[in-house]
Amino acid sequence: MILTDPRFAPLRQLTAFGILLLIWEAAGRYDLVNPLFVPSPSRIGSALWELFADGRIWPHLDATFTAALVGLALGILVGIALGVLAALIPPVAELLEPVMTLLNAIPRVVLAPLFVIWLGIELASKVALAFILVAVVIFFTVYGGIRQVDRRLVERIVTLGGGRWELVRHVYLPSVAAWVLGNLKVAVGFAFTGACVGEFVGASRGLGYLLSFAQSTYNSALMFALIFLIMVVVLLIFAAAGRLERFLLRWQ
Amino acid sequence: MRVRDLSISYGGEPVLEGASVEVAQGQFVSLVGPSGSGKSSLLRAVIGLQRPLAGTVDPGVKPAEIGMLFQDDALLPWKTARDNVALGLDFRGCSRKSALVQADYWLDRVGLYGFENRYPRHLSGGQRKRVALAQVLALMPKLLLMDEPFASLDAIVRARIIRDVASLVEEEGISVLLVTHDLEEAISLSDCVYLLSQGPRARITQQYKVPIPRPRDPVKARTHPAFAPLYEKLWSDLSHEVALDQQRAEAAE
Repeated sequence: MILTDPRFAPLRQLTAFGILLLIWEAAGRYDLVNPLFVPSPSRIGSALWELFADGRIWPHLDATFTAALVGLALGILVGIALGVLAALIPPVAELLEPVMTLLNAIPRVVLAPLFVIWLGIELASKVALAFILVAVVIFFTVYGGIRQVDRRLVERIVTLGGGRWELVRHVYLPSVAAWVLGNLKVAVGFAFTGACVGEFVGASRGLGYLLSFAQSTYNSALMFALIFLIMVVVLLIFAAAGRLERFLLRWQ
Repeated sequence: MRVRDLSISYGGEPVLEGASVEVAQGQFVSLVGPSGSGKSSLLRAVIGLQRPLAGTVDPGVKPAEIGMLFQDDALLPWKTARDNVALGLDFRGCSRKSALVQADYWLDRVGLYGFENRYPRHLSGGQRKRVALAQVLALMPKLLLMDEPFASLDAIVRARIIRDVASLVEEEGISVLLVTHDLEEAISLSDCVYLLSQGPRARITQQYKVPIPRPRDPVKARTHPAFAPLYEKLWSDLSHEVALDQQRAEAAE
């Protein structure tokens, strides 16, 4: 029953994960893997514990969170504004669409060194990278979404006596909110990618900076610990975004 | 409502040509015809969603007094049944409180008491149609345009909603112009039925008075002695139109 019942799936997954950790730990202790490249889970756990025990992780978490969340907020706001303008004003679309298409086509993290040169190694260059990653995704979500808005809803509002403002308020804005919330997890992922890559390229604080430091000192235990930490942080934000999405899109 | 010599085209291709239709106050009129004969386009021209190529449309009432019921219920999915019904009232400057009270009243009238806080996704097809009906009736229209509003419903739900609609429009004295493919529906509900020919360049070929007295139950109207002969006549004329079109198409080939 435990092996097949769907209710026990989390227990089975945890058990499998635990067994994998035990095999990994044993392989490290019996020198089956080189600890320089693959440190044992206990060493990774110890590195993670040290980060929190001496409190030196907090300024780095603060820097990464600030850069990611400010970039996310700005990216969503500007992406929505540009997407709405482009969808409703054709000349704006003519100007913006090629630029956004170009930005979408390239791996935007290549802009990180340029932002460091332009804005320095402090917060601004990380915010800029997170912002550009998020804004392009949100722009296309909103721009494409508004152009494909359900014509029946538009006609419904018109036949009920609504004008342009009522259309924006009751059809376009809720549609935009639904599309943006549907892409919120992608945007969160991009925001943290931007912040971490920006810190990796040039910074004095942040999880990306710590990763760069761990790499330069061949401290793979710290590197694994940081990767694990970033995964946990992003998963927690994903969960929060999921709850927000479920609450705001409860009509779906 | 009076439509005179109305012509409508899409991309230069005339769909409807020289159509004239009249709906007197409190009268129920149906438009029937083959697919592509421009029935829906005529309705859309009356409410201003379609610009005619030629002809005149005189709705006989103010634009705010025209209601339209579409084939799709087209409810806003992010609003509850109550908020959907209150929407039009809100547009007309009604206070929020009063709009919600009226929305509850109309939801009750269409048999949806207790469903006020449901989102459209959590309602059945028939219930959504009732919400759309309440949304339109809450605005107290003097002219109601209906574009195959019952087409997507199953037989039993459809019969119940048609009965409710007929009774509501009779009680409120609303003039109705209904577009339908269903000849039985057209005869059982209407005082007058217009037949459109096959498009393109569709035109009104016949007008039939329905001599079934009011008040009328649309289900029982089907057993009235005048129903069957009128149905046969309409069916024969409609079949003739479709056959003529096929002959024209074969000749063109």
